[in-house]
Amino acid sequence: MKKKKQRKPSASRRLLGLTMLFYGLAFLLLYLYDYDLRALALAGAVPALIFVSVRGLPRVFPSDRLLLSLSSFLVALGVLVLYRLNPERGISQLINYMVAIAAMLACTLAVRFIRRWRLLAWLAVPVSLGLLALPLVYGTEIYGAKNWVTLFGFGFQPSELVKLSLLVSLSWLLSRRKVILAALVTLACLGLLMLQKDLGTALLYFGMALLMMYASTGSPLVLMAGAGGGAAGAYVGYRMFAHVKRRVAVWLNPWADRQGAGYQIVQGLIAIANGGPWGTGLRLGNPGVIPASFNDYIFTVICHEFGALFGVAVLGIYLAVILRGLAIARQADQTFHALMSLGCAAMIGLQTFVIVGGNIKLIPLTGVTLPLISYGGTSLVSSMCLVGVMQGVSAVNRARMQQARESALYEGEDAL
Amino acid sequence: MKQLRHRIRSVGLLLCALFLLLGAYGAYSLTNYGSRWFSTSANSWLRGAKQDVIPGDVYDVNGVLLAGSAVTETEDGWTATRRYHDSADVRRAVVHVLGDAAGRVSNGVETFMAQALYGFDQGMAERMNDYLSGARRKGDSLTLTIDSGLCAYILNKVEALSASGAPPRGAVVVMNWKTGAVLAEMSFPTFDPLAGGGEGEPYFNRAVQGRYAPGSTFKTVTAAAVLSDPALSGRSYTCTGALSAQDQEGTVREIHDAGSVSAQGTLVSHGQIDLRRAFLVSCNNTFASAALQLTDAKLRRQAMAFGFEENFLFRDIVVENSSYPDTDRTEWAVAMTGIGQSGLLATPMHLCLIAAAVANDGVMMEPALVRQAIASDGRLRRELVPQAARRAIADADVAALLKEYMADVVNAEGGTGHQAAVAGARVCGKTGSAEVDGQENTNALFIGFIDDPDTPVALSVVLEDMGSGGSCAAPLAHDIFEYILQNGREML
Repeated sequence: MKKKKQRKPSASRRLLGLTMLFYGLAFLLLYLYDYDLRALALAGAVPALIFVSVRGLPRVFPSDRLLLSLSSFLVALGVLVLYRLNPERGISQLINYMVAIAAMLACTLAVRFIRRWRLLAWLAVPVSLGLLALPLVYGTEIYGAKNWVTLFGFGFQPSELVKLSLLVSLSWLLSRRKVILAALVTLACLGLLMLQKDLGTALLYFGMALLMMYASTGSPLVLMAGAGGGAAGAYVGYRMFAHVKRRVAVWLNPWADRQGAGYQIVQGLIAIANGGPWGTGLRLGNPGVIPASFNDYIFTVICHEFGALFGVAVLGIYLAVILRGLAIARQADQTFHALMSLGCAAMIGLQTFVIVGGNIKLIPLTGVTLPLISYGGTSLVSSMCLVGVMQGVSAVNRARMQQARESALYEGEDAL
Repeated sequence: MKQLRHRIRSVGLLLCALFLLLGAYGAYSLTNYGSRWFSTSANSWLRGAKQDVIPGDVYDVNGVLLAGSAVTETEDGWTATRRYHDSADVRRAVVHVLGDAAGRVSNGVETFMAQALYGFDQGMAERMNDYLSGARRKGDSLTLTIDSGLCAYILNKVEALSASGAPPRGAVVVMNWKTGAVLAEMSFPTFDPLAGGGEGEPYFNRAVQGRYAPGSTFKTVTAAAVLSDPALSGRSYTCTGALSAQDQEGTVREIHDAGSVSAQGTLVSHGQIDLRRAFLVSCNNTFASAALQLTDAKLRRQAMAFGFEENFLFRDIVVENSSYPDTDRTEWAVAMTGIGQSGLLATPMHLCLIAAAVANDGVMMEPALVRQAIASDGRLRRELVPQAARRAIADADVAALLKEYMADVVNAEGGTGHQAAVAGARVCGKTGSAEVDGQENTNALFIGFIDDPDTPVALSVVLEDMGSGGSCAAPLAHDIFEYILQNGREML
């Protein structure tokens, strides 16, 4: 027990040191290319921010160090790649990062200290539906999907925030065995997303809800009904929406129209091939030709300049985040908490799978962001919130264990 | 709670499986298709990277320089421009294999071999060495298996065929059936890389991109399927001049032999006939009924063994897939497939590979284009190692028998391919005359080989809208075989 306690921080400390070194050197390299002073400043600022968030935060707030180090590595990778693509975006992502840290802490604290979720969970249902209905009224259409809202001069994607509210309501409903109600809420959300033609996000909600339902009921019927329903939904989507049909055709053979519809996939594949296993090297590639290199195709940019092996390593880090989240879920003593952490891990995992799979042409491309890395305030905030929820559950677990230990100690003293 | 924990673990395993799938698929597609993605003309990064390297030279099999580089000094450095062979005939004869610097021909050597020609095969040490010594980087030189003399000869022969003045369209592929080395890969009409342009899509490489109905040349595949089936191999057939079969609307349609309806409107038939004789006179009736007896599944299996429906991933050449139809498989469609029509499509390169496989006892060699790659410091980087691509005919005895059948087509009395015969050599072959909608004449096809391990040549000839295979394609095959026998044992 004691030994384990000592080893854990040393592993994450080494991880932290390497992460800081990596980003320090990377930004230094960018500085040396054209003596851009901002890059030099970032060479100090990014490692410092990582240090503060990984070493400093846990002193003040309850947090899980491993999750923090892994997620900061990913977010910082996003900042680095975005800065290399376009310095303004990199800096704006850094600001998003700070906002996202605050949001993450809020989520951690909420999960750690809120005891009565009943009202919140019920409230979350109309909030989710309302937010999802918003783009249908105020929305702007981007890449064939109408999922973007501008309110008070400030644009955001409601479907990103609904991930969180839906997670809370589903976890609560399922922990109270209201499976049918949970299914209805999910279906309503999916319906609204279908109306916005945002099938990528619909797929994520669907997958998350399905995994949570399976975990809470354990019934293979849920899985079968879900898979059947999913297939039917996919078919209806395919028949109903021209842009889905086009995407499937482009997925099957992007080379048929390599200058038009297939341009993005073709350029993505070429960029990965140019990188090869070791990459072209930071700043030595030309990721500029890849459309949507800031968000949907950022994984391809990473493979292009850092190499396919690095891309695999990044996937490994995502997997580590997910497995950590699931381990936290297994330690929870309340079904509600377990389901929350599971839902977060599932969401991050599915989202990564859907977009990376789309990038490498394993599945049809759907416009979702790469969690924690892609450019965009809403996306970063929502994925950091997911990390925050996992940390909150972890904090609850640790507080409980602490208590158990103390009471055991107390009882022991009593016995004396 | 305990069950929940157990199920959380299942969810974890599922997510791990998804990630494993990502990694495995990524590794698979990058290793199999990576070099294809890299060398496509749509790769703008490659275009940029090419600026810093002098591309390597390209030679033909006899050491004739097909493409070299001239370096001119400019104020801010240097530029390299591509130089081609002096003779316009040679330039036009090899342009589809070689490709051109502008990338108008897709997947020519100049684009598909960019990795070698522009030095991307060089190791880190080599690059560092060049960088430190300040030497200009030069890519690897390639010696192709192509014989430019043969190509120029074929070019002249084919262009002489055009009677009406319109340039002939089609393709010719010649290869070594023992090693897979390609001696000629030609597409018509062609163009001069220095001038460009011309009528009839000259940039389209018909030899590897053009998909043609194989017509009666496909009877080779049907015959291989019949001969491999012990229940059918010994049978004889009755040709009535017309075979009836139902199509998808349920109407009964007839399949005739070319010229089976005589001037008086009566049917001419072959009567009682065995497979060998039917092959030699190319009897449609027999092969259509043979296809029906075989069933679609067995014929399809044999066709796939020959590489139909295969995603060809040859290392040196990009070849379009050949297709075996899989929809509307009515009686009539299956019968038509048996004689090489009805949605069957194959490239001239693939047809040549089919002939080569029969010649090579049923083993299809991978077509190869690069004999040697030599680094700029003279080191041998890579050399042609013949490799088998697939086993097309499972039983070598069947291949030997099929060889006899094909020898009859050229050498026996009444054979449709007798014009391909060359004195002193055992030429084997199969003619084809494929009907194409909206065309006045049939496409003339011939596939064949010399059955002699010392002169292992196989070829395919496809001439669009030209007439029958026996009268148009077979004589060209004869000329090519004769040229090789007279001039060029060393090219093999």
